[in-house]
Amino acid sequence: MVEVKLQKVTKRFGKVVAVDSVTLSIKEGEFFTFLGPSGCGKTTTLRVIAGLEYPDEGKIFFDDEDVTDLPPYKRNTGMVFQNYALWPHMTVFENVAYGLKIRGYSKSEIRKRVLEVLELVKLKGLEDRYPTQLSGGQQQRVALARALVIEPKVLLLDEPLSNLDARLRIEMREELKKLQKKLKITTIYVTHDQEEALVISDRIAVMNQGKIMQVGEPNEVYRRPKNLFVATFLGRCSLIEGKIEKIEGDLVTLVTDNIKIKGIVPDRDIKIKEGEPAYAVLKPEDFALQIDDPSKANEFEGTVEWTSFVGPFNQMRISLGNISLLVNVEPWFNPPLKSTVKVYIPYEYVIILPKE
Amino acid sequence: MSKLLKELKRELDSLTIVQLSIVVLILGVFLVLPVSFMILRAFFYKGSLSLYYFQSLLSSGTFIKIPPELRWIELAETPYGKILIIGRRGPNFGILLNSLFVSTMVMIFAGIIGTTAAFIMARYDFPGKNVFKVLLLIPMLATPFVNAFVLGKVLSVDGLFNYLMCDVLHALPFRIWITGLPALILIQTLSLYPIVYLNAFSSFINIDPTLEEQAENLGARGLKLFLTITLPLALPGISAGAALVFIFSMEDLGAPIGLSGAFGGGLHEKILSFQIYDEFRRGIGSIEQVHASTYAMAVIMLLVAIVVFLAIKKYVSLRSYAMLSKGGRWKPRVRRLGIMGLIPVYIFLITLAISASFPQIGVVILAFTNWAISGVLPTKFTTEYISALVTNREVARAITNSLIYSSIATAIMLLVGTSAAYIVARKKIPGRDLIDTLSTLPIAIPGIIVAVGYLLFFATYFSQTPFDPFFNPGLLLIFSYSVRRLPFSARTVFAGLQQVHESLEEAAMNLGASRAKVFFTIALPLIISNVISGGILSFVYSMNEVSTSITLSNLNPSQGPITFYMSQVIYASAAVGTVSVAAALGVLLIIAQITAISISNYILKQRVAFLGV
Repeated sequence: MVEVKLQKVTKRFGKVVAVDSVTLSIKEGEFFTFLGPSGCGKTTTLRVIAGLEYPDEGKIFFDDEDVTDLPPYKRNTGMVFQNYALWPHMTVFENVAYGLKIRGYSKSEIRKRVLEVLELVKLKGLEDRYPTQLSGGQQQRVALARALVIEPKVLLLDEPLSNLDARLRIEMREELKKLQKKLKITTIYVTHDQEEALVISDRIAVMNQGKIMQVGEPNEVYRRPKNLFVATFLGRCSLIEGKIEKIEGDLVTLVTDNIKIKGIVPDRDIKIKEGEPAYAVLKPEDFALQIDDPSKANEFEGTVEWTSFVGPFNQMRISLGNISLLVNVEPWFNPPLKSTVKVYIPYEYVIILPKE
Repeated sequence: MSKLLKELKRELDSLTIVQLSIVVLILGVFLVLPVSFMILRAFFYKGSLSLYYFQSLLSSGTFIKIPPELRWIELAETPYGKILIIGRRGPNFGILLNSLFVSTMVMIFAGIIGTTAAFIMARYDFPGKNVFKVLLLIPMLATPFVNAFVLGKVLSVDGLFNYLMCDVLHALPFRIWITGLPALILIQTLSLYPIVYLNAFSSFINIDPTLEEQAENLGARGLKLFLTITLPLALPGISAGAALVFIFSMEDLGAPIGLSGAFGGGLHEKILSFQIYDEFRRGIGSIEQVHASTYAMAVIMLLVAIVVFLAIKKYVSLRSYAMLSKGGRWKPRVRRLGIMGLIPVYIFLITLAISASFPQIGVVILAFTNWAISGVLPTKFTTEYISALVTNREVARAITNSLIYSSIATAIMLLVGTSAAYIVARKKIPGRDLIDTLSTLPIAIPGIIVAVGYLLFFATYFSQTPFDPFFNPGLLLIFSYSVRRLPFSARTVFAGLQQVHESLEEAAMNLGASRAKVFFTIALPLIISNVISGGILSFVYSMNEVSTSITLSNLNPSQGPITFYMSQVIYASAAVGTVSVAAALGVLLIIAQITAISISNYILKQRVAFLGV
């Protein structure tokens, strides 16, 4: 178990900067996730940590050891690949035993450890199968067992659940989380699925175009996005452009042509000034039809443009002149189109961000 | 700079260094140096660099004939009566232009025939299709020299064709005799069209059917659909095949030597490959007797071949010649033919199959009957010639030589081919593209040029050593096979590596395996079927190698392989009856080839679908 530190790591492929001066540290035993759209550099970052790519600039440390130039086979990381990379010419047992054989363990020791880890991932009894004879979920567990059995310093997971169907994915991510907490192994996870990232991680780094946009605990990056990219990438939201009218302590007022919105700035580092253009970020689930203390909430009245039944709630779009709000309401509330409704959203839930 | 060195150090692990050394050593000593040495020789006149030989060649009048002789058809009175003679006096443009003319015509005809046949086989369903699938590939079975003898038996003035047409059916008012360049074009077209056919076929079935369906959906059909969608999509494959045909036609020695054997001298000898070969045959005693302008001729031929090769390589990657098509992953568009379609299709395919496979069929007949001495038709079945393969000491020695050379060459080829393919597929080192080019280039280097290069280089620098061509041509043949047939093993292995997802190897590295360990425990087991199949094909292609075999073996006939023995029989017109023994050898080669191709196909089809691919 180690702390993983990246210092100004940059990786280019030709002219494309895949990873752009990334600095961060991943704590011992932490479940850390790189989250971002495809092509944002998250997988490359993981491969740089594994040693499968070497950075053009910057350094990588495992605790205090500089591993930047260490070849992958000397880093002792355990990686699970997106396509699992199971060797089709070896059985499940042989796949899992491979890393132990390389490390020169005795036959009996290998047998003991492989069976232990297969039990851990609930694959006992399938040792002699070939990968092609397994389901997607089972293949995924073999890949995990193969990475875990060598007791790596760091566990690296590259979108390990993306090839599973939706139901299995949800089951597996819970299992993975439990396993990680049990083994207390430093784990670095890569995914483009924001829900997965929120559920599974201790901390998340949101990436875009090779840069880290924000690092924080799941509720922090979700509730307090520090920039427009994070705000719009995590969950859906209504983005309203306007101008800063007033700043009173934490409370900021944004005006548009026809409405005023009060909200807060998520971080003290973010500089805003009265009179400058800015955005308000409103998450649909933060709206309510009634509210205990209307003095601490924005109130909007508009006409219903469309509604749609999602299951746990109804989603609708409310139009206020040239502004349109996406709002989640209780499933029983189903107003006719073109009718007028009134919704509230507390000031503290509205995020104000400067125009970039 | 230090960053580059660091990167290089990282990439050059012990495995890569070993693999790289093998590739550089073998390709360097047995390809680059001999050929470069020969090229250099052509530019030296009286001790200094000069274009003298090139100038004298180009102005000699035999090299480029001005004005060209264009009369290519004549009606002559002979003891056989009236004969329509095609190609005796002309066309004749001079040696250089004759070669280019023949290769271009062969490329065009083989292109049209191959593409047409491929389209029919890929897109239509009709009774007997599977039979034609086999028949159309028969010309691929090499039976060097003997097939030309068959040609003489069939197409000569008193041959089978004229016998049937004039004496039996009375369908023609006069006999026909084809010789010279038209005969070359005819023979080479019929033996080389399968290369285009195979390429075009795999291109056609690899076209995603939805692409054509979309075009139909938008209103295109028939010829319009073919010309705007199908043909452009298949064109890279077809062009690659056509370019290979051009190169193979230009370097071919089998057809001109065979025609000389069948009809005696003539314009079919006035081409580059034959002239170079002939000049060197004269220089057997000592290399000094070879006129230096021959080297200039070889350089020009090499230049044309390499330019064509690099141009087409740039246009399409040349992976199809390894005969590994990915096969249709989708249901291909196949239509049943109606009666109005069946008639032309059958006429085309039957004519093609009969005319293209008669040399091979004839070789088999020659081997099992007294046809060689019986006149127009064979009269007696015999196993005398087949048994000669074992009983005739000279023949048995040729077979043994071939087997030994080909086995060792195959081992070397696999070592070099696998190393080169692995470096090209997996390493990011400078010079990788050069290795890629060098390992595929031999397909474009005429064998006669390799032979000439060996003769010059090894006789000059390795005299009185085991590599002395006058003393030990067998050893050099092993290396010439290794280099000349390298593209087959290198490309087959490369194709296998492309199917192995790199993450399979990265996973092993991640678990602590060094590069070498990864190669031997992961990569090699996964591509072993490709290695074996590439090895089998390489072995057979070594067995029927012609150009270097017949040139170098002249220096010490006791070390000659099968093809050398066959050439001696046909070209030297040795004792009566030996032709039939050569035919028996041809049958042996045919059997070896069919076996090898079947095994190789079987192995590659049995491969499990790899995960993550």
